[in-house]
Amino acid sequence: MGKENVPSSVIQFAALDTLLNLGRANSLWPMTFGLACCAIEMMCTGGSRWDISRFGAEVFRPSPRQSDVMIVAGTITKKMAPGVKTLYDQMPEPKWVIAMGNCAISGGPFKFKGNYNVVEGADQFLPVDVYIPGCPPRPEALLEGIMVLEEKIIGKRRKSWPRRQPEKIGSLT
Amino acid sequence: MSMIEKTREALLSLYPDQVAASDDPEKKEEESAQEEAAAGEERQPGVMITDYMTRGTHLDLLCEADQVVAAAEIMDRLGYFLEAISGVDRIKEKKMEVIYDYNRSDEQACRVVVRAFLPREKPEIPTVSEVFPAASWHERETHDFFGIRFTGHPYLVPLLLPEDADFHPLLKDFKP
Amino acid sequence: MSVPITCRPDETFVLNLGPQHPATHGVLRVKLTMDGEYIVKAEPVLGYIHRMHEKMAEAGTYAQFMNNTARMDYLHALAYNHGYCLTVERAAGIEVPERVEYIRVITVELNRISSHLLWWAAFVLDLGGFTPLLYAFDDREKILDLLESVTGSRLTYCYFRFGGVYNDIDDNFIEGTRAFLTRLRSRLPRIYHDLVTGNIILRKRIEKIGVVSKEQCRRYGATGPVLRGSGVCYDVRRNEPYSVYPNFDFDVPVYEEGDSMARYMVRMDEIEQSMRIIEQALDQLPEGPIQAKVPKILKPPEGDYYGAVEAARGTFGCRLVSDGTKTPYRLKLRSPTYCNLSMFGEIAEGMLLADALAFMGSLDLVIPEIDR
Repeated sequence: MGKENVPSSVIQFAALDTLLNLGRANSLWPMTFGLACCAIEMMCTGGSRWDISRFGAEVFRPSPRQSDVMIVAGTITKKMAPGVKTLYDQMPEPKWVIAMGNCAISGGPFKFKGNYNVVEGADQFLPVDVYIPGCPPRPEALLEGIMVLEEKIIGKRRKSWPRRQPEKIGSLT
Repeated sequence: MSMIEKTREALLSLYPDQVAASDDPEKKEEESAQEEAAAGEERQPGVMITDYMTRGTHLDLLCEADQVVAAAEIMDRLGYFLEAISGVDRIKEKKMEVIYDYNRSDEQACRVVVRAFLPREKPEIPTVSEVFPAASWHERETHDFFGIRFTGHPYLVPLLLPEDADFHPLLKDFKP
Repeated sequence: MSVPITCRPDETFVLNLGPQHPATHGVLRVKLTMDGEYIVKAEPVLGYIHRMHEKMAEAGTYAQFMNNTARMDYLHALAYNHGYCLTVERAAGIEVPERVEYIRVITVELNRISSHLLWWAAFVLDLGGFTPLLYAFDDREKILDLLESVTGSRLTYCYFRFGGVYNDIDDNFIEGTRAFLTRLRSRLPRIYHDLVTGNIILRKRIEKIGVVSKEQCRRYGATGPVLRGSGVCYDVRRNEPYSVYPNFDFDVPVYEEGDSMARYMVRMDEIEQSMRIIEQALDQLPEGPIQAKVPKILKPPEGDYYGAVEAARGTFGCRLVSDGTKTPYRLKLRSPTYCNLSMFGEIAEGMLLADALAFMGSLDLVIPEIDR
């Protein structure tokens, strides 16, 4: 995989950029890229209890040509890694990557001394934007990850879902 | 005659010199007790009745590498199915072991284990995939993990490892 | 419907049902040689999620492997926990208290219902029906809440320990389970059977598709709903009873036709039988300890041991070779879908591609369990 130069846009927008980013962030179309257990939690997030459709992201496209964000949900093995890279390259710009689950962050529970087949993290060969830890992360964690990505795209966080500070231990009686 | 007895009789035909000695039921129990007691020593080829509650299997057969196909044909005739094929790397004894697990799907429960030992430097054993097509994938996997060659296998290419893998990860002296 | 192949070898093309595909339930690749829409040859290619479970068993202690058992088949993780615990308890001679056995059965059967619900949702999704997924996930969330209150996780449970379970069940769980069973009993005929099972489109898609005979099942070592859908009554809980299953009165559903509809009906009936088992277990639940006395570092005696349980997909077998130390010498895991999928190459010949996918969906594949 050599270096590739992604040229910047010929046409530069100014204030229109903000509007475009708002549109992109509120309608992120994920690619169905469930590899292992985390894929089930991704499906649950698409279900009716933890509705991902509220954030515009329920349209899971199987084809990389039609998707914005690749949620790497599951373990990447050495046999699968070239496929993941090909799919990432096939996605059109602008594109983002969310590494969901411990396996996509660092190899997860499969990183041990005799490791011969697991790639230790999606960021070994992909530029990852958001990391969601958990094994598997709860659907609420995936929604928070989507909102963090939205914050990264727009520049500020959605007003109706402020980031909650963790409660002090013992404060809930 | 229970299924365990019937299978044992059929499998004993692989050992013509042992058939005469094993018709006496008291002697049979003594034999199996002796074999259990002598577990520390080298086990002789033959059929052993094992305790299901501790071992999980009813019969245990140790045979030579070239007898596994004959054993598979006997099991096929009696209506068993092949549940799994495992390999074990006995590095201290410089041997590899191939274990075949057979099981029945009717009410007469009887689990049979067939073992064969192979030399570790050049482990080769005939394939049973002619008798049980299930063995095709099990043998490919055992070859992947241990490097055991199954002679006569129609398509012995890596199944779980990448196609160009030349290492065998479950060997005890494997370094990734 | 299979048709005989009548084209020349140079008139075929190779289609890759790639590792990334919405209908393969994981990363499975199938190399299809096609004649138009008909499959001439199908070859599954595995290994895209081979996560070295058997090697990891040799690198840690017996207790450290419990995490791996949940990740193999994450939809019925408790059955895999159970199979591994059963084998090690058999090897080390650990006596399990009765309350533990009942708790194990209740949680395993609840997990079985959730696994079958997800299978149902994904199967109908493959065939093109999007809505049943939402209904099934709604019921499944109730089960996941119940199990989370007791085990702490939603999907990959590591709840069982050698000789016991990690946490006791309380009255909230028992009442919640009874309420859930009432709810599911009222929804099953209305939503699951009226809306989907009796649907003419579904019937036309899966009746007479992928017929598997008894002899084919035996030659390929198929177990579970695939075997029971072909007319063979084999269920490890009935044929080789383990735990406290002999105390319960339940049927083993068997259908004779051997097609995808038979496998579908076997799983739907199994949901009802699991509900019966849970009710009886809740009624018979005794008091007692939830953990037997077990040494901190477990060292089973030397030798070979085998344990098998009935998972949602078939017989899960565990062959343990122990050398008397605190790490297993060799742990071979026999997964049911491995043998079920090996039939695909033979059965899919001559089928339409859409029918082959319906057949694959009815086999209930979970790829990480195949690749281990």
